[in-house]
Amino acid sequence: MKRSLFALMAVLTVLSMVLAACAPAATQAPASAATQPPAATAVTNPTATIAPPKSADAVKIAFWHSMAGDIGGKAIPTMANEFNASQDKCYVEPIYQGSYDDSLNKLKAGLQSKDTPAVVQLYDIGTRLMVDLKVITPVQDFIDKEGYDLSDLEPNVLAYYTVDGKINSMPFNTSTPMLYYNKDLFKAAGLDPEKPPRTFVEFEEAARALTTKEGDKTTVYGGAFAIYGWFFEQFLAVSGGYYVNNNNGRDGYATEATFNSPEGVAIFDWWKRMVDEGILANYGRKTVDTRNAFIAGQTAMFIDSTAVLRGVMDSVAGKFEVGTAYLPRPNEAAYETAGTIIGGGSLWIINNRPQEEQDCAWEFIKFQASPAQQSYWQTMSGYFPIRKAAYDEQLTKDWVAKYPQFQTAIDQLHIAPNNRVTQGGLIGVFPTARQTIETAIEELLAGKGTSQEILDKAAEAVTQSLSEYYVSMGIQP
Amino acid sequence: MNSPSVDAPLVQSARRRGLSGPQKRQVRTFFLALGYLAPSLIIFLVFIFIPLVRTFWLSSYITDPIGRPAMFVGLMQYKKLFATPVFMNSLMRSLTFVLYTVPTTLLLALILASLANLRLRFISIFRIIFSLSIAVSGATASLMFMYLYHPSIGSINYLLELIGITPIPWLVSESSALPAVSLVSVWLQLGLNTVILLAAMQSIPDELYESAMIDGANGWSRFVHITLPFLSSTFFFLLIVDVLAAFQTFTPIHIMTSGGPLESTNLLVYSIYREFYFNGQYGFAAAQSIMLFLIMLGLTIFQFTVVERKVFYE
Repeated sequence: MKRSLFALMAVLTVLSMVLAACAPAATQAPASAATQPPAATAVTNPTATIAPPKSADAVKIAFWHSMAGDIGGKAIPTMANEFNASQDKCYVEPIYQGSYDDSLNKLKAGLQSKDTPAVVQLYDIGTRLMVDLKVITPVQDFIDKEGYDLSDLEPNVLAYYTVDGKINSMPFNTSTPMLYYNKDLFKAAGLDPEKPPRTFVEFEEAARALTTKEGDKTTVYGGAFAIYGWFFEQFLAVSGGYYVNNNNGRDGYATEATFNSPEGVAIFDWWKRMVDEGILANYGRKTVDTRNAFIAGQTAMFIDSTAVLRGVMDSVAGKFEVGTAYLPRPNEAAYETAGTIIGGGSLWIINNRPQEEQDCAWEFIKFQASPAQQSYWQTMSGYFPIRKAAYDEQLTKDWVAKYPQFQTAIDQLHIAPNNRVTQGGLIGVFPTARQTIETAIEELLAGKGTSQEILDKAAEAVTQSLSEYYVSMGIQP
Repeated sequence: MNSPSVDAPLVQSARRRGLSGPQKRQVRTFFLALGYLAPSLIIFLVFIFIPLVRTFWLSSYITDPIGRPAMFVGLMQYKKLFATPVFMNSLMRSLTFVLYTVPTTLLLALILASLANLRLRFISIFRIIFSLSIAVSGATASLMFMYLYHPSIGSINYLLELIGITPIPWLVSESSALPAVSLVSVWLQLGLNTVILLAAMQSIPDELYESAMIDGANGWSRFVHITLPFLSSTFFFLLIVDVLAAFQTFTPIHIMTSGGPLESTNLLVYSIYREFYFNGQYGFAAAQSIMLFLIMLGLTIFQFTVVERKVFYE
């Protein structure tokens, strides 16, 4: 009796465990990020709460966002509260949905069950997918309807989110990558801390000079790059290379990956050469691991988003002097023709919500784009303002005075020419493509082939994903 | 069923005769039991059987990026499973992971449980420490270990350096990432395994040990001849549970490595997650899920038919 009871119990346990695992129809998404939004500081206690609506008749809208830490816990609720207090027709409720990937997954599930927000914040690389899914109302419709003035907005930022001649989503949090370096280590290595490297070759030479060893052990690495597909995209852009064909998919649907060009190969060769020489450290895919090594003084230079500046400054806390510089280019001439791509996220209006909710969504989007809000947002987060008038706000002036390193971010945005290269690739399978590149970099560093071979293979995989995407979406590129 | 004409008279005659007293009671008991089981049966149906059927249905389609079926492809996804290396590689990695984690967990849990079973003063403090990992969530443990494993500022490498061992690039290197993640998994499972083994040890009657002692058996032979046989059914249960848990490991992978570097930690369940949520290959992911289900079902049947024979039940 005992025996059969036990067997029954075991069988039931087994079945329930096995079957529960095989139920991907469930929409629950795990807690952490696969693709890291460049959110800045370490998670601290979220403090701000959302005040109740002023009027019972206010139209309630949900705003899904992916900002963790202080930015999501304090800045976003504060902005929502100010919006709610500024008028009594609309009431916005921000809801943190995890990483951009998590949020996108919940949105995909929500679109089928009609459980959608009026406004959702998504990453830059989700742009083509969102447009192709036909689930959004382009903000261009609202802009045209009321003649909203765009002249103050940063043209490079708007250009990124312009697809098929329309601005589809409103930029919200924008950033680019830049070079962070340790000025004290520069001085110790006999380098001029006010002259950071500008080109690939200069970077390599500086990294060599900065690397220090005790016997066999490297105590300080000259530099470190996290294995993050976004960095490759940026290096490619500053080299003047296209990620995909049809001018980065901006003059018609992209059908082929083109990052296996000489520009791409040169980046891979450079990266690999420095790792092999032991002057560039590899701390894996997580950008935070590389950042921590820099903060601990174990690497002298690293690449990261402008959005982490405040987090880096707070963590370094005066232990050494932090410098920032432009992302290195392959040569000086590239500064004229190429530049970094806008990264970050934008706000989308979902079209299956009632018209009044969409109208409120637009009101909220306009509110967050106002100079005062953009200035507050920038000083809280380290993303840069999407409009020029924000720089006249006292808050931003004070902030730039306190963190002069931020000027690099602003200048880098303004020196970048606005062309198809700096607008960046536009494809519906960007998250997959980014991951393919990350695996390719791992293969490169592990010596699984030449730069050309590895990039060719990666490009073939992305091209294949693109064609599968068009088939499943019923699009004829 | 094929010959209702033959069955019908029998049924009629049964009705005419009516059910005997004991038969009636049996029918009543059956429905009563069904009533009691209904809540769990309904949950089982809604959350397990229906998703299973839906998964199978989904695996025969190509879907759009939101997961709406776009084209019926029959068994194409299953052919793709065996034609591309994605599935076979992650299956092999999952098997390696099971080999790394399950025996280690069982052995360590046995040692800890034996220690915790000693009659010492304040032993309950040790029992709490040994079982503490039950209270730690997978995500928390993964974050803790990520800091410990950090290539340059992690404590593990710091300690290794103190005793003169070159630092290991734990999660960054293709060869050390899977063992590193396995360690986290072992740590997470250890608490539960220890508690269950300890409970089983404490249910062994003292008289057996006493009479063995009178017969002159030493500690080791008491352990081998009394403790271990009594634990065999518990071991069997833990073996099944641990193997299944190892096959389904997700959290540490997702948080610590995202399947990398070079796919070296891309275990089956993570691969399914990535294809499903990330790459939008819903049909392909569904096909992988069905294969995982079949593999685990096969494994469980094997364990019940072959391994169970060696188990001693009280």
